[in-house]
Amino acid sequence: MKVLTVVRQVPDAEARVRAEGGRVDLSGVTFVMDGMDEYGVEEAIRLREAGHDVEIVAVAVGPEHFAEALRRALALGADRAVHVVTDEQLDPVTLAGVVAQVAREEGADLVLTGGKQADWDSAALGPAVAEHLGWPHSDWTTSLALEGRELRLQHDVDDGVEELTVTLPAVVTTQQGLNEPRYPTLPNIMKAKRKELQVRDLAGLGSPAPRVRVVSQEVQVRPRLNKVVGGDPAEAAREVARLLRDEAKVI
Amino acid sequence: MIDFELSPEQKQFQALARDFVRDHVIPVAAQHDRDETYPEEVVAKAHEVGLLNVGIPQEVGGLGLGMLDEVVIGEELGYGCMGIYTILMASELGITPVLLAGTPEQQRRFLAPLLEGPRLAAFALSEPNNGSDAAGMTTRAELRGDEVVISGVKTWISNGGIADVIVVFATFDPSLRHKGVVAVVVEKGTPGLSAHKLHGKLGQRASPTYELVFEDVVVPRANVLGEPGDGFRIAMRTLDQTRIPVAAGAVGVARRALDEATAYARQRHAFGRPIADFQAIQFKLADMKIGVETARWQTYYAAWLVDTGRPHGEAAAIAKAYASDMAFHAAQEAINVFGGYGYMNEYPVEKLMRDVKLNQIYEGTNEIQRLVIARSLLR
Repeated sequence: MKVLTVVRQVPDAEARVRAEGGRVDLSGVTFVMDGMDEYGVEEAIRLREAGHDVEIVAVAVGPEHFAEALRRALALGADRAVHVVTDEQLDPVTLAGVVAQVAREEGADLVLTGGKQADWDSAALGPAVAEHLGWPHSDWTTSLALEGRELRLQHDVDDGVEELTVTLPAVVTTQQGLNEPRYPTLPNIMKAKRKELQVRDLAGLGSPAPRVRVVSQEVQVRPRLNKVVGGDPAEAAREVARLLRDEAKVI
Repeated sequence: MIDFELSPEQKQFQALARDFVRDHVIPVAAQHDRDETYPEEVVAKAHEVGLLNVGIPQEVGGLGLGMLDEVVIGEELGYGCMGIYTILMASELGITPVLLAGTPEQQRRFLAPLLEGPRLAAFALSEPNNGSDAAGMTTRAELRGDEVVISGVKTWISNGGIADVIVVFATFDPSLRHKGVVAVVVEKGTPGLSAHKLHGKLGQRASPTYELVFEDVVVPRANVLGEPGDGFRIAMRTLDQTRIPVAAGAVGVARRALDEATAYARQRHAFGRPIADFQAIQFKLADMKIGVETARWQTYYAAWLVDTGRPHGEAAAIAKAYASDMAFHAAQEAINVFGGYGYMNEYPVEKLMRDVKLNQIYEGTNEIQRLVIARSLLR
C-alpha cells in the first residue's frame, strides 16, 4: 500500500515573528518540520516496521525551503518525496485540493497529515483533503493500527476518546500522543541523499486559484496586567485562585 | 564565487546535533560536571544516532564526514556541553593519525571495530614533564624485530582509560629528537598498560582524562603507523586538523554564553527596567555576537581548506586561538551580565568559563598556535 505523508516547514517554536506592512516578516527565522506532521511520518515508518508492505511518499506544497522538511522525512525513512513548489499562500481548502490531486495521481491508500498547522493554526487541511477525495477521515488521532484494509483508530474528542474503524483509503490527522518521533540518524541522512525528490509545479496540478485572499496580518499583543499579589502566603494564594477563576476564568 | 550556504545534508546534521543536545546533553551536563562522572548513556545515544566517530571513512564502513561537517556538528555539541563534546572530539583525534598514516589494512583493523558500539579512540602525546615540547618526549619504543616494546608515562589523555584504540607517540632514539618518534597503535587490554583517571579538573569534568603507564607493553610491529621516524610529523599533521573542531566547540560555548546572557538580560530588572535596556549590557551582548560570528567563519574557512586539500595549518591555528580566547572572554562577560548569580552553579554560565578554559590549552596551547602563525609569517 502507499502512504502519503504531508509535511510542512514552519517557523521554529522559539522564533520571534514580526509583522511589517501588514505581512508577517519571516526573514531570518529558523524553519523546522511541523511537529504535528512529524507524528505522521513516524507513524508511516512504524506501519512498515510492523510488517506492512508500505511505500512512503512525503509530500509538501510550498516554497523552496519546504524541501528541507522533505529531506528530513526522507532521512527519517520515507522512500521518496514530491515537492509542489509555490510561493503562493494557499488557503487550507485550496491546498487540500492540490494534496488530493497528488494523492489521486499517486494512487495513495492513506494520507497522513498534522492535526493542526503550527504556523497559521488551521486544523482544516486533513478534513478538506478527505472531503476532496470523498474518503473517510479521523482527526486528532492518538492511536492507529492496520489490519488488512481496515484501520482501527483512537481520536480525541472534547470529553474523552473515541474509537473508530475505517476501511482504506482514508485520511488521518496526527497529533501528540500518537507516537514518539525518532531522530533522522546521520547514516540515514547520508542515505537520503540518493532518494528521489520530485519537483512539480501548480500548473501541473490544475493551477488552482486561492479562494481566500490575505488582506493584512498582525501579531497579537496581549498587554501584561502587572498585578502583584503579596502579603500573607495563604491569603495571597486565595487571591490568586480567585483572580484565576473570576477574572481570567481559566480554572 | 564564494558560497556561504551549508549543504542540505549539513543543515540536517546541524538540526540532528541540535535536537540531540537539547534532549540528551543539556539535561545531564550539570550533574556530570558536578560529579565528575562519565556520561555513558550520552555516548551510547550519540553512537545510536551516528554522531560518534563520524570521520571513519566509508571504505571501512563509516560515514566519512568531512571537516566542515564535523565542525557544524561540533558547534552544536559544544553549545550543549564542552566536556561531553571532548569525549567525542578526542575520539576523532585518536582516529585521525590512523586516517592520515594508516594503511587500508590498519584502517580496517583499528577503525571498523569502533563502529560496532559506543567505542572510543584516544591520542597519547603529552607526558608529565612534556607538553608543548613534544619532540622532547621520554616514553620509549624499542623496535625489536616483529615487535615494539613501549615503556613510559603519558598524561592528560582524554578517553585514555576507556578507549579501545590508543595512538601512542614514543621515541626509539631520544637523540634524534622529532626524527626519532614513532606512532604506534595500542589496543585496550594490552598487558603492561594501566590507566589512572585524573581528578580535580577545573572544567570539562564529564570528559574522563587519564594518565597512562606503559610497562614493557608489547605490540606487533604491524601496529606502527607509517615508518618509525614519521611519528612527529603524523602528530603535527593530526593536530593541524583536529584543532579546528576545538575552535568549533569554543564557538558553541560562546553562542551558549550569548544566548544565556541575552535571555537573562531580558528578564532581569534593575532601576525599573530590564537590564537589556542598558548600553553597558547591550555592548557586551554585541561584542559576544561579533566574536561568535567571526570565529565561526574562520573555523568554517579552516575546515574548508582541509576538505579541499589545501594547506590549512595557519588557518587552523588562527581559528583555534581566536575562537577559544573569544569564547573564554564571552563566558566571562556572560557571568558579568548575570552578576552574583553568574558565579553560582545554579546557572549554566560559570561552567561555560571553566569548560572553555581548556580549549585555550589542549591540542596545542594558544601560545603554540601563535608560534605556528608567526613561523608561517616569518618563514
